[in-house]
Amino acid sequence: MIKRELPLEYRLAPGWLTPWIESVVRGETLARSCRACGRISFVPERVCECGCAEGIWKSLPGTATVIRRTFGADGSFGLVRFDYADTCTVVELDGFELGNRRGKLVPPGGHLPKLILQPEFGAASA
Amino acid sequence: MVSVIGASLTEFGRRKDGSSFRDWAADAFESALSMSGLERSDIDLLACSSESDFFTFQLNPASVIAGDLGLTGAASMRVEGGGASGQLAVHSAVNAIRSGQAKRAAVVGFDPSASQLSAAAVKELYCLSFDAWTDGMTGTSSTVLYALSFQFFMETRGLDERHLAQVTIQNRDNALSNAKAHLGRRHSAQEIYASPIIASPYRRLHCSPLSDGAAAIILSERNSAPNQRRNAPRIVGIGASSDKPRLGARNAPGEFRSKTAAMKIACASAGLTPADIGLAEIYDAYAGAQLQAIEALGFTDDIICDLERDAFRPGGRLPVNLSGGLMGQGAPAGAIGVGQTANCALFLEGLHYSELQPASPPKYALADTHGGVCTTSAVTILGVGL
Repeated sequence: MIKRELPLEYRLAPGWLTPWIESVVRGETLARSCRACGRISFVPERVCECGCAEGIWKSLPGTATVIRRTFGADGSFGLVRFDYADTCTVVELDGFELGNRRGKLVPPGGHLPKLILQPEFGAASA
Repeated sequence: MVSVIGASLTEFGRRKDGSSFRDWAADAFESALSMSGLERSDIDLLACSSESDFFTFQLNPASVIAGDLGLTGAASMRVEGGGASGQLAVHSAVNAIRSGQAKRAAVVGFDPSASQLSAAAVKELYCLSFDAWTDGMTGTSSTVLYALSFQFFMETRGLDERHLAQVTIQNRDNALSNAKAHLGRRHSAQEIYASPIIASPYRRLHCSPLSDGAAAIILSERNSAPNQRRNAPRIVGIGASSDKPRLGARNAPGEFRSKTAAMKIACASAGLTPADIGLAEIYDAYAGAQLQAIEALGFTDDIICDLERDAFRPGGRLPVNLSGGLMGQGAPAGAIGVGQTANCALFLEGLHYSELQPASPPKYALADTHGGVCTTSAVTILGVGL
């Protein structure tokens, strides 16, 4: 056997996603609103379903509703829709109990733009 | 018309015999070439499929494979589309022959998905199969995304864990008849229900394994095939399509829409409908994904009713994954699509080594793959006796 290690340290330039990546690291919810039809995507889509490639950044409150959740050895994740967004996204669910359906995006606590949702304080349980 | 005049698969599994993907690729190629009746000098195009340089530790793998196979001088390329890599390589070769750029092509798929890296490393790499900048950064695994997608499908169709168990039991049982399969097993439903939850509703036994292996086919323009192989199965239709890579951006996260689109293209080019297909090798990365695929491909209007009627078992209306599929036969990423096409050709010709080889093979078979959570879809329809 040939043993070979390949240490890799990527320096990923986020390009057009830079505002979004930086906002996620701060725990903020920056969505993209289509200039033509106003559709709001979070995670942002560069080209809208209507075909328009021009968008403006729009801050959302950061609160979301859990549509589907999965748990197990791979962790606890959910497909959620952030308030005022027209698309859904997958987030890590942190501290969610079975009845929790509402949450708020929190800073990931590191340099990676991880989407982490914690139960919204005082939110009604389903 | 493009004919599949040679087809071969190596054993799929976790190889611990000191052999490498270069050996497996050579084994599969030599066997397929022998079946074709061609000489290696007859091959003017090599299309390789391998999902990741991380797996092989080899950039530009087609160049070294061409050298190993004695195909220096032939055009060579590596085709990649995640789990669909193998089918896309088949399509590339078919298109090259149809366009007149090649007369006889070898398609060789391979990947050391099991033995060269730790399972944890491979799992981390597979997280990059989706949108690595968003879902990947959040740490979602392949199983997490497939599980979320299946939950939508499961709820709207009224499916439950009994149906997931049925698929698991069937595919692993089919693999028992395939001497080259990775995971031939006789599972009980209770054993499946007791296996650890990876991402609900998926348990460990609902997942396909990481496998090593290779597969190869030899394609020829009909009139350029040796006389004894002029009646070999033909590729009568190909189709490919794509969906949004992020599940959350899709309007219907539980539907495999790119697969439906790919199937429509393939059927239109073949002049067929899904009802004409008599056997299918389907991309069952997870048990539920097989059910989503069967419906997306147009093989059922009522998935529960057809499962209860054993429509997809050996001897049923449409036998699915007689080889065992990814769950039973195994899943060396780059080899999957090529292996499916090889399986279909061998089954149609009555030459498959599986004990499940139908005594009266159907006229048409379908090979179906996708990458991502059905983001990149590619299907191939084969026919015989045309």
